[in-house]
Amino acid sequence: MTEGQTRKPLLNAKFLHKLDHLSVAARRVRLGMTKGDRRSKRRGSSVEFADYRDYTQGDDLRHIDWNIYSRLGALYVKLFEEQEDLTVHLLIDASQSMTYGTPSKFDFACQIAAAVGYVALTSFDRVSISAFSEHGEQRLEPVRGKANLRKMFGFFEGLRTGGATNLEQAGKTYFTRNRTKGVAILLSDLFDHNGFEEALRRLAMYGSELYVVHILAREEIEPDVVGDLKLVDCETSTATEISVSPALLKRYLANLTGFCEAARRFCLARNMVYVFAPNDTPIERLTLEVLRKGGLFE
Amino acid sequence: MRVWFDQNLMAARRWAEGFLLAPEYLWLLWFIPIIILLYLLKLRRTSVLVPSNLLWYKSLQDLTANAPFQRLRKNLLLLLQLIILIALAAGAARPFFKTEGATGQSLCVLLDHSASMQTLEGDGARLDLAKEKALELVRDMDKGDKMMVVSFADKAGVLCELTDDRSRLRQAIANITPTDSATHIRDAILLAHSLKLTVQDLHVIVISDGRIADLEEITARAYDLSYLQVGASQNNLGLIAFSLRDPLEGQGGERQCFMLMHNASDQAITTTLSLYLDATVLAAEELTVPPGQDYELVYAMPEIEEGLLRAELSHDDDFPLDDMAWLAVRPDSKVRVLLVADASSNAAYVLQRVLLPDSRVELSLIAPDGFASSSDYDLTIFNNFAPETLPEGSLLFLNAVPPVPDIEDAGELAMPPILATDKEHPVMRFLNPANVSIAKARQINLPQGARSLVSTAGGPLIADVSRGGQQILMTTFDIAGSDWPLRLSFPLFFQNLISWIPRSALGTDVSVAAGAPIPILPEPEVDVATVTAPDGTATQVRLDPLRPVYYAGTDQLGPYDVTVGEDHTLFAVNLLSKNESMTGPADSLTIGRGEFAAEQGSVKQNQELWRWFILAALVVLTLEWWIYVRRAWL
Repeated sequence: MTEGQTRKPLLNAKFLHKLDHLSVAARRVRLGMTKGDRRSKRRGSSVEFADYRDYTQGDDLRHIDWNIYSRLGALYVKLFEEQEDLTVHLLIDASQSMTYGTPSKFDFACQIAAAVGYVALTSFDRVSISAFSEHGEQRLEPVRGKANLRKMFGFFEGLRTGGATNLEQAGKTYFTRNRTKGVAILLSDLFDHNGFEEALRRLAMYGSELYVVHILAREEIEPDVVGDLKLVDCETSTATEISVSPALLKRYLANLTGFCEAARRFCLARNMVYVFAPNDTPIERLTLEVLRKGGLFE
Repeated sequence: MRVWFDQNLMAARRWAEGFLLAPEYLWLLWFIPIIILLYLLKLRRTSVLVPSNLLWYKSLQDLTANAPFQRLRKNLLLLLQLIILIALAAGAARPFFKTEGATGQSLCVLLDHSASMQTLEGDGARLDLAKEKALELVRDMDKGDKMMVVSFADKAGVLCELTDDRSRLRQAIANITPTDSATHIRDAILLAHSLKLTVQDLHVIVISDGRIADLEEITARAYDLSYLQVGASQNNLGLIAFSLRDPLEGQGGERQCFMLMHNASDQAITTTLSLYLDATVLAAEELTVPPGQDYELVYAMPEIEEGLLRAELSHDDDFPLDDMAWLAVRPDSKVRVLLVADASSNAAYVLQRVLLPDSRVELSLIAPDGFASSSDYDLTIFNNFAPETLPEGSLLFLNAVPPVPDIEDAGELAMPPILATDKEHPVMRFLNPANVSIAKARQINLPQGARSLVSTAGGPLIADVSRGGQQILMTTFDIAGSDWPLRLSFPLFFQNLISWIPRSALGTDVSVAAGAPIPILPEPEVDVATVTAPDGTATQVRLDPLRPVYYAGTDQLGPYDVTVGEDHTLFAVNLLSKNESMTGPADSLTIGRGEFAAEQGSVKQNQELWRWFILAALVVLTLEWWIYVRRAWL
């Protein structure tokens, strides 16, 4: 892994203040690990009344509604809504290709992840972060509550990049250890030599609501190259010799558009949310507008 | 292997010269492997690190699939560059094709008026046909066309310089008269091609029967010309050699008259050969010469002192000029040389060794004490001795000061180095005495008008002090005190000397070729010689008292009478050329490196295509540049 560079503070205080009003929206209520602020499908022991049902032998006698019994003479058990927490999985692509661009795609991904993590922690949700690449996984075990903000930001600062992208392997590794369903946000450039489709399909299988934030550098979207070049893939070191011509540039742009469009369609078809995020998009606009519109925040 | 290669190379070259004027420029094609090599050595590209080259690779593949000429696409620039190179090489090699007519340019007509052009063709002579063709060319001239007329036989002459004045051209062509000499085209070709430097579009047309003697002497380079063949008749039997042979030395016997005939026709010809001495018939013989063959005859000759031998063939053919030949027989004369030297001296020994083998020399030796007069000798050589008065004839003083006024003996020079040589002087031709070492020499101050032939720092080593028509040479050193006799320059000097001195009589050089000069020797107190040609025309020739003059007006065949004072000398001018006697026209001319096939009808002229090739190269170059800059189809 390459040494991570000293980064500026990921998010400024003003922006964090704006984030205080947000919380991560779960379109579908998910099972949490611990009791939290969110309604759960599970019936539990919160104060929120949900329903009645007939008493069956073995039910906790404390849950029998004695008022109903006194009026109707029948035993009913009061069901209460279980209140659970939401787990936000932040999956950051830490491969070598993410170091490209100004600011680097990885830094941008960390900013987004930090923003989402901040919102989640301040909403008393669980946040689990994994920065992955072929070289392995850097993981922040699930944390909860504002008290862990420092820990989370510290984790971002300590991240290293390097190696090739293997989305499928990363998803598998992560969700094998962390099966809690919740909201999963994948921050990647999707440049996986094995293709991103299978990886996304697998990620979806783990049951979380999946947001795919597709990060590309401006230099990739509008390449500024001339002459006869040998393009070396920073992850695989494979070289492609090109002679830049208008025709080639046109073809490249068409392929890039096609690539993004393919990702968007793929996500749409599988009930995932696809967010295209060039690295020069202001973080405020991305979080407060784009991600909010995408339904991640409420 | 090498021979095989050379032969094939020559064959290929000859083939290429059929449509290329400068095939040597095809060497440019050697750049093809260099260009290909440069392509194989891949373009040095700038490495750029990218997050992923997935999309670039895909784009490249898409483009490849969509590009036209996919197989060629990768090497499109290479292909274009090869086309440019080939077009340039082809342009430099000057491709051409023949077109009818010879208009729209400048023409240089080289018209053959040699002896063979007098061959009868129907009612007229071959030369008339040639002139008719030349006049046709004049008639075909367009407005703005120019022409010049050059005639050639033994010499070339410009009859009309480049002009568009048709009447002048017609007049010049009409004025061409036949000569009896052999054909030499070299000067005419050189003249025409020197003009090409200033007149770029000059096209040379040779009107001839192609029987040219000096084709091999022409520099091997590409010439641009057309060969307009004239004549058809090959019905000829002629004399091609006629000479007197002395009996072999020591064998005695009689002189022999040698004659060689050639039958150029495709049928045997029967003729009567008669040999006359003046008006007396020496022999007559009927003989039949097979077609295409030489026929040799040798007659034993009676003892003849002087006279004119004439050989004559009596038969009917189209070229009567070579049916007669002459020989002027003169008394056998030698250069009489008197060597005045001590017979036992080294110098006398080496001089005899040098002079005796020369067949032209009749050498006598006398000791200085016995010398009285030398009036009977052509050349007197004094070694370490000088008489008090100058004797007659040519003189050579070796290490002696001739009794010439104003000559001064100023002492001695030790080990004089040879510093300068007058190579212009006839006795110094072809010799370089610079390596001669001399022990000592006299320092001589020469009189006015004398000429130092070999000089050292203090004065001459060999000098020409000729005066009043008498040729006098001197050396200021003793040849026995030098290594000169061991050097090549020594015998050459005496060879030159014998040739240079005026002789009391000419040798037995009895026949000269038509057009070749005949020497006329000076005679004391005679200023003018009269040369009478075979047709009776007399020409006055001014004589030089010191050296022979040459009379070059020998255009007619037959005996020339040269009268100097009271003396009459006969010279026989003969054609005696197999080349001229083979009157059948040549099918092609090999001039320089080109072989030019005969063109019977109208002149075919070369249309050069190099401009189109260069233009094509430029167009492809532009296209290549455009493709490179725009990256179109790449």
